[in-house]
Amino acid sequence: MPGLPAMMTNFEARKGHSFHGAHEGMVQFLRFAAIRAVLAFFTLCLVSFIVFSLMELVPGDCAERYLAFKNSQGAQISIADIEAERVRLGLDRPFFERWVKWIFNAFQGEFGDSCILRLNINQLLGQKVWLSIGICLGSLLLAYAIAIPVGIIAATSRNPFLNNGLRIISYLGLALPNFLLALMIMLFSTMVFGNSLTGLFSPEFRDAAWDWPRIKDFLSHVWLPVFILGWSATAFAIQTVRALMSDEIGKLYVTAAAARGVSGRRLLMRYPARHALSPIINSLGFDLNRIFNELPIVALILTLTEAGSLLIEALARSNDQQLAGAIIFFLTGSIVAINFITDITLAIVDPRIRRSILG
Amino acid sequence: MSRLIDVENLTLQFDTDEGRITAVEDVSFSLEAGEVMGLVGESGSGKSVTAKSLMKLNAGNAIYGPDSRITLHLEDGPVDVMSLKTDTEMKVVRGGAISLIFQEPMASFAPAISIGEQMVEQLMIHTDFSKAQARELSIEMLDRVGISDASTRFGQYAFELSGGMRQRAMIAMALSTKPKLLIADEPTTALDVTIQAQVIDLMKDLVSEFGMGIIFITHDLGVIAQTADKVAVMYLGRLVEQGTVRDVIRRPAHPYTRGLLAALPTLEDIDAPLTPIPGDIPSPLERPSGCVYHTRCQEVIGARCANEIPKFSQVDTDHAAACHLHDEQGETA
Ligand SMILES: Nc1ncnc2c1ncn2[C@@H]1O[C@H](COP(=O)(O)OP(=O)(O)OP(=O)(O)O)[C@@H](O)[C@H]1O
Ligand code: SF4
Ligand SMILES: [Mg+2]
Repeated sequence: MPGLPAMMTNFEARKGHSFHGAHEGMVQFLRFAAIRAVLAFFTLCLVSFIVFSLMELVPGDCAERYLAFKNSQGAQISIADIEAERVRLGLDRPFFERWVKWIFNAFQGEFGDSCILRLNINQLLGQKVWLSIGICLGSLLLAYAIAIPVGIIAATSRNPFLNNGLRIISYLGLALPNFLLALMIMLFSTMVFGNSLTGLFSPEFRDAAWDWPRIKDFLSHVWLPVFILGWSATAFAIQTVRALMSDEIGKLYVTAAAARGVSGRRLLMRYPARHALSPIINSLGFDLNRIFNELPIVALILTLTEAGSLLIEALARSNDQQLAGAIIFFLTGSIVAINFITDITLAIVDPRIRRSILG
Repeated sequence: MSRLIDVENLTLQFDTDEGRITAVEDVSFSLEAGEVMGLVGESGSGKSVTAKSLMKLNAGNAIYGPDSRITLHLEDGPVDVMSLKTDTEMKVVRGGAISLIFQEPMASFAPAISIGEQMVEQLMIHTDFSKAQARELSIEMLDRVGISDASTRFGQYAFELSGGMRQRAMIAMALSTKPKLLIADEPTTALDVTIQAQVIDLMKDLVSEFGMGIIFITHDLGVIAQTADKVAVMYLGRLVEQGTVRDVIRRPAHPYTRGLLAALPTLEDIDAPLTPIPGDIPSPLERPSGCVYHTRCQEVIGARCANEIPKFSQVDTDHAAACHLHDEQGETA
């Protein structure tokens, strides 16, 4: 596919005087990227505002919750204590001011302390956020690494066994909920290997520093959540790729290219596959979103305390607003980021979009 | 003139979910180098699939009849099109000696590949030009078909060109490999009338210059009268009348051709009511027995029409029709 360099040569051809043309194209492209980045930033601000407001709507605030927690531990708490705690946390300030402060800190990666655990959220989350995002991206990568070749073969093959086989596997992938698959694998491995395959690290590596043995230990655990999350994602992605490919293959421009003597793999890759790429890139953000949604429950079953189950814990069990807010901020942040990346990639890959921005 | 292509007993069926349908049945015609043949018929009569057969380009569910023969006469000897198997063998009829201009100029360019890249790609497949030479020739061809600022257009995409411009680019691309036979499948239907006329003129000029044969597909006999030397009329997958344009238009011998001509507005009397052919085209799943036209024919001459397939018989030196009105028994009846 023609990336930036190809685009530049087009520009050279168009403008005649090469340096100026290439330069102008680059400037316009960067301007487009900058506008998209600003839009992404605003989306994130908006989401953070919603998250922050929701946190406000939950009855009680951090001060009350913490002191109530203390109370249950046997400490004597007075109204005055709560007020003092509020002032200390800045909760007596107006809503808008607190949001601005929160978002300002959030963009600097500072989320304050957890309401209940009284620990700095960054310390608490540590690498968990990155591990979760990594697991989701890994699943997405796995899904498309399988779906693109399989989808293309499925769309081009006229072999009924292959097609029906793939269809059955896809339906299984779509119909079998992730958590059920996770439970089944755990059950199976407990019975066969006496090991439930849960967690992301073996106990001895849990708090160790990253080194080669720890990486190996991590990889020996992480494939399972990636596989389980990737399972239905792959089924979805195969359906997407196959449908998009069949669509493109049926189009007249493919027959027209064949009529000009283009054939074989070149015909397949340069024409339908190349043209199915844009809608596939478009669907990536959507797929990642779905994987994120499925992460918490899978994490809960596989007891991946390192990953998304923390969110359920933070939200449902302990009502820890600060922590939940930070996690949601990270999750939406990564979805906004992937949408930004797909937008930019689309502009590079698809001349229709490229032309509409470069004028 | 020398013979360019012979099509003999072309029969083409398609396997569909509803069953096997016959799209072309027992079609024979031939074309000389430098000759323009019009192929006319209503929608669905099988014009496009006949054209694609010459390049073996029909969809995967196509089945060619065992007696079908298509022979392309080239300088290095005849090519038996039906026996071409591999992609390499087929290159000669796909963009090499035969070029096809499709019905839809917009949809026949790949949207995300520039016009120029597609032209160069074709030249690289069929000639031993270098990329630079291919580029030069492509720009020259774009210029030749009347596209202004051809080197800019070369780098553009189909969506950046107007309809008329796209069709010109399509013609430039089709002619760039200097094919012996150009098939133009309704090259003007998507265009407005003035541009239609320009494109037709352009094609006429190029034919005489390149000396190639053209099969011009249309449902409009009026366009044929302006462009073609001879004409073949098709109905429901069968040829029903063939002859020189003069003969066929002045003295149509087949009731279907007469029907088509009656449905045409005339210059002498623009306001005269048009009389479209009555009746519906039968579904391809229910092909009429005997003469395929008998369900709509207004000159039916009895049970033979429904039972016996009429053969071609000469009505003049260069004019033949497949209708029982013109075979011996019909004439005596
Ligand atoms: N791949 C296919 N599978 C099944 N039927 C087909 C296929 N391709 C064409 N047909 C059928 O063959 C018949 C002839 O189609 P064709 O496109 O040649 O008509 P046409 O004369 O070109 O009509 P038009 O003027 O509308 O272009 C139609 O009934 C069409 O439905
Ligand atoms: S053969 Fe009979 S039905 Fe067919 S066109 Fe001639 S007269 Fe009409
Ligand atoms: Mg057609």
